[in-house]
Amino acid sequence: MDKEKRKPTKPTEKMNLSSDSPGISFHLLANEKWQPITIPAFSILLSLIAAAIVILLIGKNPLNAFLNLLQGSGILPKPSYAGYKGILTDFLSLLNAMTPLLFASLAVAVAFKAGLFNIGVSGMMLTAGFTATVAVGYSDLNSFLAKPVVLIIGIGAGAVMGAFVGWLKYRFNINEVVSTIMLNNIAQYVFGFFINAYIVDPVSRQSRYILDSSRLTLVNVEYGGLKMDIPLGFILAIAAAVFLKFFMDKTILGYEIKTVGANRNAAKYAGINVKKNIILAMVISGALAGLAGVTYYLGYFSSIQPKVLSSVGYDAIAVSLLGNSNPVGIVFSSLLISIISKGSTYMSSIAGIDQDIASVITGLILLFSACGEYIKFKIRRLNDRQLERKESEA
Amino acid sequence: MDTIIIDGLSFALPLFIMAIGGIYSERSGITNLAIEGLQGFGAFIGALAVILISNFAKTDLESLFYLAIAFAMIGGMVFSILHAVLCIKFKANQVISGVVINILSVALTSFLTSQINKNAFGAASDKFQLGVSKRFTIGGLSRIPVIGAVFKGIYPFEIVIIIIAFFAWYVLYKTRYGLRLRACGDNPHSVDAAGVEVSRIRFTAVMVSGALSGLGGMCFAYSISANFSPNIYMGYGYLAIAALIFGNWKILPALGACLIFGFAKSGGYRIVQLMKLPSAYSDLIMILPYVLTLLLLIFFSKTNRAPRALGEIYDKGKR
Amino acid sequence: MPEYIVEMKLITKKFPGIVANDDITVQIKKGEIFALLGENGAGKSTLMSMLFGMYEPDEGEIWVRGSKVKIDSPNFATKLNIGMVHQHFKLVQNYTIAENIILGVEPMKKLAGIFPYVDIRDAGRRIEKLSKKFGLEVDPDNKIEDVNVSIQQRVEILKMLYREAEILIFDEPTAVLTPQEIEFLLDIIKGLREGGKTIILITHKLEEIKKVADRCAVLCRGKLIDILDVKETSTRRMANLMVGREVNFETVKKPAHRKDVVLKVSHLTVKNQEHFEIVKEVSFSIRGGEIFAIAGVSGNGQVEIADAIAGLTKVSGGTIELNDTDITNYNIRRRTLCGISYIPEDRQNFGLVLDFTLSDNLALKSYFKKNFSPKGILNRGEIDRYGNKLIEKYDIRSGQGVRTLVRSMSGGNQQKVIIAREIELASPFMIFVQPTRGLDIGAIENIHNMILQERDKGKAILLISLELDEIMSISDTIGVIYNGQLQKTAETKSLTPKEVGEFMMGVRHG
Repeated sequence: MDKEKRKPTKPTEKMNLSSDSPGISFHLLANEKWQPITIPAFSILLSLIAAAIVILLIGKNPLNAFLNLLQGSGILPKPSYAGYKGILTDFLSLLNAMTPLLFASLAVAVAFKAGLFNIGVSGMMLTAGFTATVAVGYSDLNSFLAKPVVLIIGIGAGAVMGAFVGWLKYRFNINEVVSTIMLNNIAQYVFGFFINAYIVDPVSRQSRYILDSSRLTLVNVEYGGLKMDIPLGFILAIAAAVFLKFFMDKTILGYEIKTVGANRNAAKYAGINVKKNIILAMVISGALAGLAGVTYYLGYFSSIQPKVLSSVGYDAIAVSLLGNSNPVGIVFSSLLISIISKGSTYMSSIAGIDQDIASVITGLILLFSACGEYIKFKIRRLNDRQLERKESEA
Repeated sequence: MDTIIIDGLSFALPLFIMAIGGIYSERSGITNLAIEGLQGFGAFIGALAVILISNFAKTDLESLFYLAIAFAMIGGMVFSILHAVLCIKFKANQVISGVVINILSVALTSFLTSQINKNAFGAASDKFQLGVSKRFTIGGLSRIPVIGAVFKGIYPFEIVIIIIAFFAWYVLYKTRYGLRLRACGDNPHSVDAAGVEVSRIRFTAVMVSGALSGLGGMCFAYSISANFSPNIYMGYGYLAIAALIFGNWKILPALGACLIFGFAKSGGYRIVQLMKLPSAYSDLIMILPYVLTLLLLIFFSKTNRAPRALGEIYDKGKR
Repeated sequence: MPEYIVEMKLITKKFPGIVANDDITVQIKKGEIFALLGENGAGKSTLMSMLFGMYEPDEGEIWVRGSKVKIDSPNFATKLNIGMVHQHFKLVQNYTIAENIILGVEPMKKLAGIFPYVDIRDAGRRIEKLSKKFGLEVDPDNKIEDVNVSIQQRVEILKMLYREAEILIFDEPTAVLTPQEIEFLLDIIKGLREGGKTIILITHKLEEIKKVADRCAVLCRGKLIDILDVKETSTRRMANLMVGREVNFETVKKPAHRKDVVLKVSHLTVKNQEHFEIVKEVSFSIRGGEIFAIAGVSGNGQVEIADAIAGLTKVSGGTIELNDTDITNYNIRRRTLCGISYIPEDRQNFGLVLDFTLSDNLALKSYFKKNFSPKGILNRGEIDRYGNKLIEKYDIRSGQGVRTLVRSMSGGNQQKVIIAREIELASPFMIFVQPTRGLDIGAIENIHNMILQERDKGKAILLISLELDEIMSISDTIGVIYNGQLQKTAETKSLTPKEVGEFMMGVRHG
């Protein structure tokens, strides 16, 4: 028997769990059917409150700051726009930024379903982005050929790197967290070296801009008096999420990957090829990370800054955790994180809060999401206790 | 040859002290991937403390070095409480918790550094300048051929680390606390049955690892980078984890692993210098410790045995 | 001096959903061996856990040596000189025996008058003295992972004695021992009584009580049925009181009708991770309609034999033939399809995916078949229909039907899930490893009947169990394993438990 169960629940300030008349929020949280939505929402709420406190502490108005976030990301209209700009411009730009994040988060989620923690998405993105840049970015291939080739190279480069991590894990039992971090660092310096040595632009100190023909975002498209960036990869990212949902829930391969992730011993016992599934999951994860890489370096941007890893790979962990590794949940959580990071520039310029606050909020969301299981556990225990109380009263 | 030894040691020792912290945490049964974040946060607190003090008291930054170390250890320890609470009290997945802490640490320290620079000093910078701490040489011993280099150009923190490391070894293997701590990582139920609170031991073990990580981070800030900036997150915390894995979760072998990393790095730089390669090649040398980590892991992970209860959430009721 | 050293008065303890102890009163005299008899789940362990401070009673009082006490932690129980040997030993595997014994009460010394350190030498001396006194021989410098279960149990007893315990609680101490080791343990227990200790013995084995106990309390479903003087009560009466109805001592079993050989294992050798030969040149064959049991002390290679046949462990020598097909090099899936069902020892870590639903677990070995997943796409409706069919057929109890997470089910029902799945594979050969471990008597009977039914359908069955009683009562043939080698293979009827025990300990060779 669980000895813990007998201890009285300590009152938590976070949610008035131990009060005799739990509020509406508790009833919402207690409903297990809605928990996949209510608990992340609760985590977000907590982190926004925490962020608001941080903002208050540096002497700014948090409500204004949050409003600015929404305005900057094209969800709410700004008071004024420069020429050729409008809310639609901002919104498309949001989707442009969200595309790599969505791919990256799906990459984290697939690995997680197989019980693997892929922290190497950033390194894989860089590998894919660099390979595609060098192979296609400066070539004279026409647009209809160049874009698909970029995608294929991205998928390939990411998948190879993912397979390598999976192989290290299975063959040598190397913790994938450590190996992916090592690969991140190696990728960062190796590609940094090649960029600096061969394709650097002496003025911008970045790699030379790729040609528009290979870029996955159509830039400065004029429509209705506005100049907009249209992210072609966005549709692909949504399609990937839908496909992944189907793949995980409905196919034999998805079932096997999930079994390996939930209990590796039982999977082996049931005759599932654990090695194949670990590598397969990492290949899919790597391929998605590769897509994130090309939509980032050859879509959202058009050059690579040497010796810097994108933060997208880390944000993706937050997104995936928040979305409960469910592709549909991830679409929404990646939208949220994109709003925060995209809107932070505008907020920084209007409210004077450093835009790093965006990553602080993301980190806080991550922190509270990690407590999700505990919240669930607390609620279950409280439910039991209330039931007991009712029984003893009756 | 001398520079290889001097630079190698000054890189290996901070790594070593972080690895010892990791050993404390992991031998008590708590997976600690948070070392990277803890060392950064510790260094941030240490740097912030001395910057503020030197600003008010108008003292020289270098003389505040020991104060910086003390604050860094406190900072790392306080931040590690987060990991301890998540893993022990909230029963969160320990790997996730570690990663969360790393991400949060990077975000928080970058944000706070630039915000403080802007608000307190009116400067737009993401750095706290610290300078490099003074080195010293032990006269007689340094004249011994080859090995003498060990006693040349020593950073004061190297001595601090050696003293603390020795003390940590003693506590872990000789004292009552150490005996109980290592038992927690093998079979927490036995510790519980002996009437000792498992969660308290684990909690303190994680805090020790936080303090030691903070110390390591501060040493890097005072040597390699000469400042605190988000660039302190170079993955050295993960190198420390790799070192403790080859070291089979034991202190002395972990020292060996750290020395290999240190000399690989300093040796690599020396080769670039000797071959008169352009400086861009030093980027390629930077990957040496990481590649070495992967290679060593390939050779050692199969034979090494992690503490039996590592990463398992301890539930008293479960039998 | 009061008449009773321990009195537990009107103790009630509730857990969500059950009353584990209901108004129980027991009084224990100093220097006696007091037994607590009852089935699994009768509330014996709960009652003693309260005396040892692991739980606190909801109602009732505990008196020790004539004064009322509130035992809120094992530490306090230790202070009252109460010690307990738990059913699952609580030992640190990579520590020496001495380190294990002193954990929590380490003798300290100071180096140079300043630095405290654990004085392991002094501990060693004290342990040797204690072990001589009570006939509990151990080498304090051996590591736990290098000594057998019987020695580990001695370490647990020494742990109590080192803490100067006067009241010693033994929770099912004989479950993992051979008959000879049991004899030895019972002698030690008697010796402890002679040394002035008071002993409380929790068990469901009547012979042991008959052999050593002075008095015995019978518990059934949380209630105290009676307190008996052991000498004056017959074993049958105790048994009937324990179960609350007439008990059949023998499982009703038809004689075996052996058919053709289904499984043939020849010269099987298995190495463990350290390249040590844990199974050496083992050969046997099992016919249809026969239950072949491997008896042995835990860790002598029997589980490795099962894993090797099922394909979970690599074979380093020998062959395995199933229905005259050499399957030695087949992978796990292919072996399953050839006709092997496997009920593994560790049901939670191997047999089930605890975070999957009931229907997913029932389909764990057949989800890929045409009817469940045409063209690689899972047909959820069909899988659920199949799940519902099995739930009904095997009477699997769960909260939310096929959607229930297996984690939330009881141990007995979890085992039913595995057995249902494996029987439905309709394999000609089935492996059962420790199929009844940790289950209560009702569930055990049920599972024994299922195994016998499968045998009577003509299946070949390999049974691996640490419970000699189980093997004696349902198997047709016994192979006794010691140190990775089969010592003796014979008809069950031709062997006595004592003989089997001698082979298990390697003191007799066939």
